[in-house]
Amino acid sequence: MLVKQIINTLLASLLVFGVSQQIMAQTSEYEMDGMIFGMPEAEVFIEDYDGPPVVGEYFTQLPTLKPLDYEGNKHHEVRLDAMVQEIEVANGVRYRAWTFGGTVPGPTLHVKEGDRITFTMKNRSNEEVMITEPGKGGSPFMDQVAENNYMDAKPGVMPMPHSMDFHSGTVAKDDKWRTISPGESIKFDWIANYPGTYIYHCGTPSVLMHTAMGQHGVVVVSPKDGFPTDDKVDKEFVVVQSEYYLSKGSRDDLYRYDFEAAQTKQPSHVTFNGHQTILHDQPLEANAGERVRIHFSNNGPSLTSSFHVIGAIFDRVYYEGHPLNEMHGMQTVLLGASNSAVVEFIVPEEGSYILIDHEFADAEKGATGTLKAGPRKE
Amino acid sequence: MRIRININQVRSFLAVALGFIVVCTTVQAQPARIMIPQGSFHSVLPEVVGEPVGVDSFYIDQFPVTNDQFAEFLKENPRWRRSQIPTIYANNGYLKHWESDLIPGQNVEPNRPVTHISWFAANAYSEWNGGRLPTVKEWEFAAQAMDFNSKAEEDQFSYDLIGWYSSVNAIKPQEVGSTGIENKYGVKDMFGLIMEWAEDFKPPIGTDISLDCGTIGRMQENNSIYSYAQSLRYVTRMSFSASSTTGLLGFRVAYDLPVSNHLKSGSL
Repeated sequence: MLVKQIINTLLASLLVFGVSQQIMAQTSEYEMDGMIFGMPEAEVFIEDYDGPPVVGEYFTQLPTLKPLDYEGNKHHEVRLDAMVQEIEVANGVRYRAWTFGGTVPGPTLHVKEGDRITFTMKNRSNEEVMITEPGKGGSPFMDQVAENNYMDAKPGVMPMPHSMDFHSGTVAKDDKWRTISPGESIKFDWIANYPGTYIYHCGTPSVLMHTAMGQHGVVVVSPKDGFPTDDKVDKEFVVVQSEYYLSKGSRDDLYRYDFEAAQTKQPSHVTFNGHQTILHDQPLEANAGERVRIHFSNNGPSLTSSFHVIGAIFDRVYYEGHPLNEMHGMQTVLLGASNSAVVEFIVPEEGSYILIDHEFADAEKGATGTLKAGPRKE
Repeated sequence: MRIRININQVRSFLAVALGFIVVCTTVQAQPARIMIPQGSFHSVLPEVVGEPVGVDSFYIDQFPVTNDQFAEFLKENPRWRRSQIPTIYANNGYLKHWESDLIPGQNVEPNRPVTHISWFAANAYSEWNGGRLPTVKEWEFAAQAMDFNSKAEEDQFSYDLIGWYSSVNAIKPQEVGSTGIENKYGVKDMFGLIMEWAEDFKPPIGTDISLDCGTIGRMQENNSIYSYAQSLRYVTRMSFSASSTTGLLGFRVAYDLPVSNHLKSGSL
């Protein structure tokens, strides 16, 4: 027995050695065009962590965005754990979602161009994580979701491998975006070198399944010198479009992933901020005469979005959220899967304005929302 | 530099190097084990074009190992109890759902498959039980030995299976024998109950297939819903380390031929 145990240990260490050898040696940090590249090697480890799954003072719940209240650049140390939550995505439609932070989409992180982010994620798909305990702390997101649990999230357990791919980071994916098994944690750095509104998502195969199951969200990297229109903006929101591919399961009342529908791009629901009616139930609010900015991201996983606001014209569009990609007077912005835009419009009158994917098949599956405008303030 | 290690070569080498040591084990009272006759199948891993993967005959347990059976093993093998096992052999989730070292407890029905088990512990049990873990090839070959009447039936089965992979609630696995799924030799619950350890769960294929967005695509040479479901299993197994434990991960035991002189083909 002892001998066999020694053999097992040897085998295990060989396995580990074999795998670690595949990761290329990391280059050291260097500067190019004023940006920083060459991050240290990611660390995969086991930790006894059962605290809040979302940690970082610039993590918020959709559609809010935490204003950046610091000068110059900041080193953010943040955590966003992967876990399972049973959630509602439309009236009477619930499924066990694979999530970052407990909601679909996950929380929005706001940073500034040039900031360094030290990111930690634990794969907690193997444990029940309660996200709605009041006073859980850790981030504005945790307080917001405890206050407004619009998906009625309840913990579930479905151990699966997961990973994190930040489109806002520029790193070697076979190191930083590594898949970790249930119970493992990963920690790595990235620099927000380019301003923009970026999707993050799980990159573990099947990536279609992992993203359709709910593992995506947004990072807003605000430009270091701001947008030319910053002084004029009165309200700022984040809206994410995404698809669900669900059908009724046979064992219980829950819905589940529909492979056929996902493969053929026939979503059951297309939503803004993860829920078919949330932006009507809880409309965005502004007043006539105000300038509204929306960071809009089409997180897919597979469809395009033709984003339009009924009754408004986009005074400015910064495609992908970069201040140099400036366009004027647009009725609709076409976004492929994982494209984004910062759109700004003037709210002309008191009343209701409908946010919509002008691809009407998607709109009628849920991709609409309301902006409710109050009277003009003198 | 990338080093490729063939686990079977390593095993053979160690087996030869340590071959002078005779390991005596008492074979325990056996649950039903079933012979899987030799044959071949298509894996989703790279293979020589036109040549399916060959598998020799072997025996495999009809059911996954249950909590009760694992408790018996722990009574005789204190080193593998939750309080005794070194962290190198299992992470901190090892048998965490049990009431105590030897008692699964009220919330863990005895006839449910044991989960929260590391690869090391699964190996130790298998050896104690006179067998070993099945290889990935053996496991997949046995699991896929199912009689479908039509392509449509096979597709529906795979479709449901993918649904199961994306909706199973691991808080409370069903009892063994509850899935109604069995292969053509009578092996039950290989699908729809838990995920199961294999001896060589992390195939030494280097960066040919790393775990990234394109992996499933590169596994889809057969381009069928059947091989898609298969890919999900390969990918999930590849992500584990030998000390991993999850609420969905258990095992069953395989055995080399011949198990004893009294064996006929078929079940014992």
